[in-house]
Amino acid sequence: MFDDRSPIYRQIADRIKADVLSGVLKGDEQVMSTNQYAAFYRINPATAAKAFQQLVDEGVLYKKRGIGMFVSPAAPEVLRAQRRESFFTDVVDPMVAEARAIGIPLGDIVRRITETGGHG
Amino acid sequence: MRFPSRLLAANLFFAALVWVAFYVVVTLITVGIAVYGTLTKSVWEGATQLPRWFALFVGVALIRDFLPLYIAHGQTRRQFGAQAAVTVALYAPFLSALLVLGYLLEALLYHLAGWPQELSSAHLFGSPTQVPLVFAEYLVEFLAWIVAGAFMAAAFYRWRGGGLLSLPIGVGLIFLGEAAVGAEFRLPFVRLGLDAGSAPGVPVTLAAGLGCFLLGLAMTWSIIRDVPLRNRPS
Amino acid sequence: MKIEVNGLRVDYHDVRAIDGMTFSLDAGKIYGLLGRNGSGKTTLLSVLAGFRRESGGTVRVGGRPVFENPEVTREVCLIGDAGETIDIDKVEDAIYFAEWLRPHWDAAYAEELLDRFGLERKMSVKALSKGKRSALGVVVGLAGRSPLTMFDESYLGMDAPSRYVFYDALLADFMEHPRTVILSTHLIEEVGSLLEEVMIIDRGGLVLHEESQTMLSRGTSVTGPADRVEAFTGGLTVLNTRRLGSTASATVYGDLDDARRRQAREAGLELGPIAMQDLFAYLTEPAGDAAPAGPPADVPAEGTPSATPSGDAR
Repeated sequence: MFDDRSPIYRQIADRIKADVLSGVLKGDEQVMSTNQYAAFYRINPATAAKAFQQLVDEGVLYKKRGIGMFVSPAAPEVLRAQRRESFFTDVVDPMVAEARAIGIPLGDIVRRITETGGHG
Repeated sequence: MRFPSRLLAANLFFAALVWVAFYVVVTLITVGIAVYGTLTKSVWEGATQLPRWFALFVGVALIRDFLPLYIAHGQTRRQFGAQAAVTVALYAPFLSALLVLGYLLEALLYHLAGWPQELSSAHLFGSPTQVPLVFAEYLVEFLAWIVAGAFMAAAFYRWRGGGLLSLPIGVGLIFLGEAAVGAEFRLPFVRLGLDAGSAPGVPVTLAAGLGCFLLGLAMTWSIIRDVPLRNRPS
Repeated sequence: MKIEVNGLRVDYHDVRAIDGMTFSLDAGKIYGLLGRNGSGKTTLLSVLAGFRRESGGTVRVGGRPVFENPEVTREVCLIGDAGETIDIDKVEDAIYFAEWLRPHWDAAYAEELLDRFGLERKMSVKALSKGKRSALGVVVGLAGRSPLTMFDESYLGMDAPSRYVFYDALLADFMEHPRTVILSTHLIEEVGSLLEEVMIIDRGGLVLHEESQTMLSRGTSVTGPADRVEAFTGGLTVLNTRRLGSTASATVYGDLDDARRRQAREAGLELGPIAMQDLFAYLTEPAGDAAPAGPPADVPAEGTPSATPSGDAR
């Protein structure tokens, strides 16, 4: 289930964030409990709890005592802002480096982007 | 202390099953002798040579199987020792009672068929129907054989090959028990006629049997009181 | 149950199996005990279960000494592969005694587990396959619900589907009835994610005791031109170095802060995570046996028993 190569809680947190971004999880919607996550992914519940704590700290989830974890209404917007911030360093810069390494002129890339952008 | 109900129940149940099978075989042999030859003696008397070996292995199994079972289930050696002692103290009379029953059933059969139920060896009892004496003799014998088995098994469990050194002591315990009933000392290839002339008498026999039992328990306890559970290869 | 081990020493005649081990484990977590064959895993667990007496040092479980202490031992269960609890005629006989001797035994749960592992009550234990024997041991261990439950390679003979049944049952039952669990295993890839903390022992000493996710986040592989890898890893704890032509890949253990990571990226070095299995292998590699072209296996500070206090922090 996991690649065993980076802390699992980070992988779980990333997955939940992805679900929030894509709209699978909506604002004020309840997420599965730590124990459900632990059983489903076959991981230690403390590890799952750590993922949830990280998301609470980041403001993606909030806790209702005795009930469970819910998606913060502002979460999609917060996450989108975060992603926007890191978009160029995480996505564009590596692409440019790759293009340079294999000899694709930047002009080609720009053309492609404009084309697909036009279609999409 | 907790009563060793399940330890006792499991062993008594098994002993009863073995006794039934054993009794059937002995009776078939008896009838066989009567049909193809002449039957003048108690066959059950000869057959009672075997159960003492069964008793010896019950003593062995207590240490080899049940001691590790108890420790692995979170019981202390002390708890096991107490439960095993109670088990032996109740198990030996049970075995002895089964042999008494064998003699009585045989007496009934011989009586109906008109065969003479003669004894061929020296015993504490003069006739197979002297129930208390028959019971006392086999009780003392079984106590001795069980504790001897437990003692030797404990030595082998703890020291493996070094356990060989316990054999003379174990045989000594059995010897003591046999001497107490004033009977012949019977082992394969060994038939020592003990001097039964002084006729020990029932109180002496029972006292000696009890002493043998307690001595065997004490010696076994001295070996298992801090024995490590073996790391057996699977 | 909380476990406190202080300066533990265990000798077998003239062989020292455990040499000065000190650690403490909190109650209510799943721990992994990792070590090579002969590293002392079984000996350590045997002492924790009161199967054998320590030769020196102290061992306390739930604050009390263990050996021949019924208050403690009845709360502790160690399932090894020797089958002490099951080598008794039939499956139902093993259950009969377990039920009677185990104070927290859950009979209904035991039945359910027997079904799940496909064990018939009338089967003779001697006739069971190795996998089924292991499964029966696991049933006894789980249904006993002991506050300290330890499995010493107990699931080694089980095939993969049965092992997953075990992992799922263990997790589910642990969450429902929290207790202290110690798993000793070789199957690190499979079991790793179940563990909250990991203890690695080697040659009778504690090498590392760490929260498993922290341990994973500390292991990093550094790959790139050999000279730059060497320059970057100087001063770090290098567990292993492998070389392919002019490229080198070093495994370092320790926290790399963002500045260090940026520095690596700027130097054209690739940083990657390390699997628990690999970390374990490097941390317990026999000295001098390291990969050929690497520098002498600079066994980490944590690698010597004398440095174990670093592992005691938690």
